[in-house]
Amino acid sequence: MIALSVAAVLAVFLLYTSIAGGGNPSIAPSALQGRTGDVQLAGRVVGPVSGDAHSGGLRFRLEDIGGTARSRVAVRYTGSVPDLFKAGRHIVIDGRLRNGVFVAEPGSMITKCPSKYAPKQSGDSA
Amino acid sequence: MPELGRAALVVTLGLAVYALLAGAAAAHLGRRRLAQSAQNALIAAFFTTAIASVVLVAALLRHDFSFTYVARTTSEALPTPYTISAFWGGQEGSLLLWLLVLTGFGAAAVRLNRRWARDLIVWVVPVFAAVATFFSFLVVAVASPFVTQAAPSDGAGMTPSLQNPYMLAHPPLLYLGYVGLTVPFAFALGALLSGRLDERWLIATRRWTLFAWTALGIGQLLGAHWAYVEVGWGGYYAWDPVENAALMPWLVATAFLHSVMIQERRGMLRVWNVLLVILAFSLSLFGTFLTRSGVVNSIHSFTQSSIGPWFLAFIGVTVAVSLGLVFWRLPQLRSPTKLESPISREAAFLYNNLLLLALCLAILWGVVYPMLSEAIRGEAIVLGRSYYDFFLRAFGLPLLLLMGIGPLIAWRRASLRSLATTFRWPTLTALGAGVVLLVLGAGSSVPGLVAYTFAAFVGATIVMEFVRGTRARKALGAASWPGAFSSLMARNRRRYGGYVVHASIVLLAIGVAGSSAFDSVAEAKLSQGQSLAISGYTLVYKSLDERQSANATEIRATLGVSRESDDLGTLEAGKNAYTIEEQVSNEVGIRSDKLTGEDLFVIAEQIYPDGSVIFRVFVKPLVNLIWLAGLVFLLGSLVTLWPDRREQRRLVARAGEVGLPATR
Repeated sequence: MIALSVAAVLAVFLLYTSIAGGGNPSIAPSALQGRTGDVQLAGRVVGPVSGDAHSGGLRFRLEDIGGTARSRVAVRYTGSVPDLFKAGRHIVIDGRLRNGVFVAEPGSMITKCPSKYAPKQSGDSA
Repeated sequence: MPELGRAALVVTLGLAVYALLAGAAAAHLGRRRLAQSAQNALIAAFFTTAIASVVLVAALLRHDFSFTYVARTTSEALPTPYTISAFWGGQEGSLLLWLLVLTGFGAAAVRLNRRWARDLIVWVVPVFAAVATFFSFLVVAVASPFVTQAAPSDGAGMTPSLQNPYMLAHPPLLYLGYVGLTVPFAFALGALLSGRLDERWLIATRRWTLFAWTALGIGQLLGAHWAYVEVGWGGYYAWDPVENAALMPWLVATAFLHSVMIQERRGMLRVWNVLLVILAFSLSLFGTFLTRSGVVNSIHSFTQSSIGPWFLAFIGVTVAVSLGLVFWRLPQLRSPTKLESPISREAAFLYNNLLLLALCLAILWGVVYPMLSEAIRGEAIVLGRSYYDFFLRAFGLPLLLLMGIGPLIAWRRASLRSLATTFRWPTLTALGAGVVLLVLGAGSSVPGLVAYTFAAFVGATIVMEFVRGTRARKALGAASWPGAFSSLMARNRRRYGGYVVHASIVLLAIGVAGSSAFDSVAEAKLSQGQSLAISGYTLVYKSLDERQSANATEIRATLGVSRESDDLGTLEAGKNAYTIEEQVSNEVGIRSDKLTGEDLFVIAEQIYPDGSVIFRVFVKPLVNLIWLAGLVFLLGSLVTLWPDRREQRRLVARAGEVGLPATR
């Protein structure tokens, strides 16, 4: 009977994966080139930040969190902007590349909050 | 002073190593005096850790910035409560707190049980000592809170969003929960090592597990409430890896608290229970590893620190050693009894366990999937909210239903006819509630409707149980109805406290379903004088004000709120711009309806120089039941936790009947 229950649980699991498929790949800005599908992009915000997230879109660039790769990507974002968003912050957004610009899904931005566990870093205020 | 702290920790490490080696040798060779000495070393380790902790707190209070830790986490201007909270605010301090709680719990659990379970305790001591050795090694060699530097004139301060009363209670409660799970783990391993595999280790640790589980539960709800009120994105739980890290051990501990009853009563599920305890402890270590190592993308980002690999190694050793011991003792762990029928209380509890574990493993899979897919396919695939929501429904809704069935169904074997009698009223109540809700328009969300219907079913069973029990007490000669009720509670705290906890889960389910399945949202850019309508409310944007507080510029939009023709007063939403930290924070406006539990939740998304504001407004029905659930949960847990000598005697006596003879 335990085996039966386990089988039922596994069946639910398979059901999910067959209906919903996998999730989105999470990648760094430097790995974005040439990709067409939906991805989750994690990177560090590079200024200048311009535009309006509620009309026309907020514009900024993202670079790899490691920071060594020079391949920055332009981003257009609409929707609500988290409190902590600013140049230098690490953010995660969903979206896809369109004509060289990463167009984010509205409202998908998450900023990583400077946590109580993280010592203040001098590079953070850049 | 830092030397005293360092020395105290080195002594702690020495004591822990001694307690481990001497304790293991004593247990193996059967040396009673040596075992006593190991036990004393464990207790002494608590006191030396306490000395180190006092040194750190004193340094924090004196603003001694020659302590790198103090300079990094606090500043001169930080209010005293938050200065103290910096003790667990940073990594090194929180590891020290972990060690403090661990040695404290260990010393107390060992002393409390040393008389009636001596043969078990001799093996429990070295297990505690092994865990303490790991943590004291970390604070001595890898992440010492007593590193010094040339004192800067002021410290770096604390992030504004963490200068919040919730952060005084939320992290330590989670710690109490995580560390508390070490107690059942140590006793389970002690039982495996000593070969005393009867039910005594369960009886010895029941209250510890309950306590850890309560602290974890309340800690998580506090975190959720903090996110809801302070972070201001309109939600309370985001399936973030760090949030999941606390939820997983809680789910496993919940499963354990239930399956324990089956073992106590029928001697079944022995292997299963040991495995659950090992899993719960490993998950609490894994949670710490997740939050510290930065291997997954989380809203809570933590410094990539050097302790990640150490934790991973410790988890590996823990799992390998524990499973090895289980395998070694497998023949003795065989149950004397078997499941007799798929319709019985044992079976219902088993289904409950499987569902809880399935939910936990689905969450675990979601958490580690990015890492696994990165290792295998070279790119991290993130499973989003829909993944978790799906499994919460697939496993959570049946769990909710079982919560009504399990406690009422007969042990061993229940007939279908008796089921029909027992569940006639709850089923009718649930169907009635379902029809009424459908008429009221709850059909817009099927999972929500199902959740409400199941909640009505469980609610009815709980009410029925209390009514039946109170009546029986009255018939047995209680003077009054309230007297009958309180004697009912007093005589069987565990059972009726459990029902209270179940009631809180019903409230939680209703609150979660209401606020996530039946919420509404509207967004509009308003100039002063314009209005916005949402689910019967009308909000008029009246004015925008700016004021200066001690450390921030506060901008507030005032909205007039009305529903139909009732004037409900005003609501303020805006932003704070913190001057020194150069941070902006959303300050949301929330209007709670005390009668219906509904919240009107207003975020001022963007404020333009011309005074127009983009407002995002949520109406969240029944969301306040979630917080009410927290209070009821605490009440129920306290009822079950309350010391009860009579019950303890009964359990000890029963342990003697079910398993091997209990030696005292």
